[in-house]
Amino acid sequence: MATTAVTSAGIASEAPRSDFGRVLAQRERRFAAALLAPAFLALLATTTFPLLFLVYTSAFRMDLAMPFTNGFVGFENYQVLLSDERFWTSLLVSLVYTGSTVALQVIIGLALALLVMDMKRGQGWFRVIAILPVVLSPAVVGMIWRTFMLAPEFGIVDFLAINAGLGSKNWLGDPTLAMVSVIAIHTWQWTPFAFMVLLASLASLPEDIYEAARLDRASAWQRFRRITLPLLRPAIVMVVIMRTMVALTAFAAIFTVTAGGPGTATEILNLYAYRKSFTELSIGYGSALAAALLVVTIIISGILFAMRRAK
Amino acid sequence: MSGQGQVSFRNIVKMHGEFAALKGVNFDIKPGEFFALLGPSGSGKSTTLRILAGLDAPTAGRVLIDDKDVTSTDARDRDIAMVFQSYALYPHMTVAENIAFPLEMAKLPKAEITPAVKDAARKVKIDHLLDRKPGQLSGGQQQRCALARAIVRKARLFLLDEPLSNLDAKLRLETRAELKKLQRSLGVTAVYVTHDQEEAMTLADRMAVFMSGEIQQVGTPGEVFARPNSIDIAGFIGNPPMNLVPARYVDGDVIIAGHRLKTTATIPGERDVVVGLRPGALRMAEGGLGARVDLIEDLGDTAVLDLDCAGTMIRMRVADGNIPGEGDTISITARPQDIHLFDPATRMRL
Repeated sequence: MATTAVTSAGIASEAPRSDFGRVLAQRERRFAAALLAPAFLALLATTTFPLLFLVYTSAFRMDLAMPFTNGFVGFENYQVLLSDERFWTSLLVSLVYTGSTVALQVIIGLALALLVMDMKRGQGWFRVIAILPVVLSPAVVGMIWRTFMLAPEFGIVDFLAINAGLGSKNWLGDPTLAMVSVIAIHTWQWTPFAFMVLLASLASLPEDIYEAARLDRASAWQRFRRITLPLLRPAIVMVVIMRTMVALTAFAAIFTVTAGGPGTATEILNLYAYRKSFTELSIGYGSALAAALLVVTIIISGILFAMRRAK
Repeated sequence: MSGQGQVSFRNIVKMHGEFAALKGVNFDIKPGEFFALLGPSGSGKSTTLRILAGLDAPTAGRVLIDDKDVTSTDARDRDIAMVFQSYALYPHMTVAENIAFPLEMAKLPKAEITPAVKDAARKVKIDHLLDRKPGQLSGGQQQRCALARAIVRKARLFLLDEPLSNLDAKLRLETRAELKKLQRSLGVTAVYVTHDQEEAMTLADRMAVFMSGEIQQVGTPGEVFARPNSIDIAGFIGNPPMNLVPARYVDGDVIIAGHRLKTTATIPGERDVVVGLRPGALRMAEGGLGARVDLIEDLGDTAVLDLDCAGTMIRMRVADGNIPGEGDTISITARPQDIHLFDPATRMRL
């Protein structure tokens, strides 16, 4: 008897409350959707639609130089792409460019962050100066390097090379040196980003665990390897992911410095797709190249995010 | 154990700019002793511990461990283990990895590390938590993990910086007792920093009482309680602390609120003094000092009375069953040997 009373009372008091909760949740959801809608629509129009259109275009032959051959070709562009040696070369250049710039950014950025953490004064100034390259447009950075830094005889780098006894080099004319140069330029511009993120992360590490490690007889190197590095791992992985995404799709700096040359020595996949589409006016094939770059980017970011989740 | 764990501080001074955190500290710790550094916040006890650990360098003076000058020896090379107030566990390592860390740094073979880790964890009763990360542990479990990490390597000195202050009251009492047993069973020299006089009194073999950057007294808890060196220590030790009452001293007697009390002092003459009276040393007796009961704090087995003696507040502890009513007037006295005399100018014991 007592049990029934309790149960029915429980139901009676619960029913209106859950109803109220549902109405409230519904209202909140509607409000959230309203807040989200403008950004969502803008993204849809500027990102999703162009992407879908790109994939659609890649199924057509769209040659502005020979419009009479235009028409639906299905996967033909992709078949051509797989046997296109220049595609594989540019993919390799893209991977080398991305891999080396990201690795250099993380290593130099981390080294700088560790150095600056130990600075007693002047940290603020260092941060302000360090951020300068990041705020420049990549196209401007490209121009600066081509003229002030790498120009034969007068460029700072060439001047230093001559004074160091290496002699004047053709920094942008030699295939290997050109690759080294564009990697150096990208690294120069974006290392401050890695530096800032890692410095902030370093500053948030608790001091007392380093004292505990000293008492546990860990050397400076052991403290770095066993404590700093594992604790910085989330920040490092985040920097690697963000910088990889950008490096894979880099364009402006290389375009202004070498335009992919000499020959195709610095022609990353992005640049090849651009040249195919807008220099050779082969829009359909260019779209297929861009779609291939999209696939590569998705695969690499998938791997990186999986690494981030893993222990 | 690689050493005896004998410690000497010789005239240690520590300056932070113009501010003197330590003004010439001297003490000796015997091997195997449980030594407490007691004092209020900012009195210099933690600074002393950090200098002993080698985490901070003194501005002047020398630190000796086992008769060897280690003043400029790095913390790494002092063979000292420490439990931090914040525990300072490595957040990315499991409990087992945390405990194993000091052994790995000492390049012990893996076959020796695993049993040593299990043994240390068993001693502090966390052997079922070895696979957890510090973030998944309660405060008490983290504290035990920090203890295990400190005892696993059998260092010659064991430093504890307010290790119980982040635990709740019940756990603090339990851990306090276990800590003492652990130290006894390991036979290691322990230096314990605390601002809690009860903790120092119950744990320590001897203690140093710090007041504004100086040691005012070193002794066993019993000695410090029975014969406090200064007004500051008298007002710091004991719960409730000693009553400190301004009075007039005349040829071996003190006059408080017009009432004369006998003391054991033999100094001739007449002067102003501060009289120290422990709440527990006061008793009710006919013909004593008259006082009105203002407030009664009943603690169950005893009660603390707030008494008004002609405008001076005096606290007195009485046993249960002997408690007067609030508003009653009683007469109190103290035995001559229970009356402490201090100089109001120097604040030191007479």
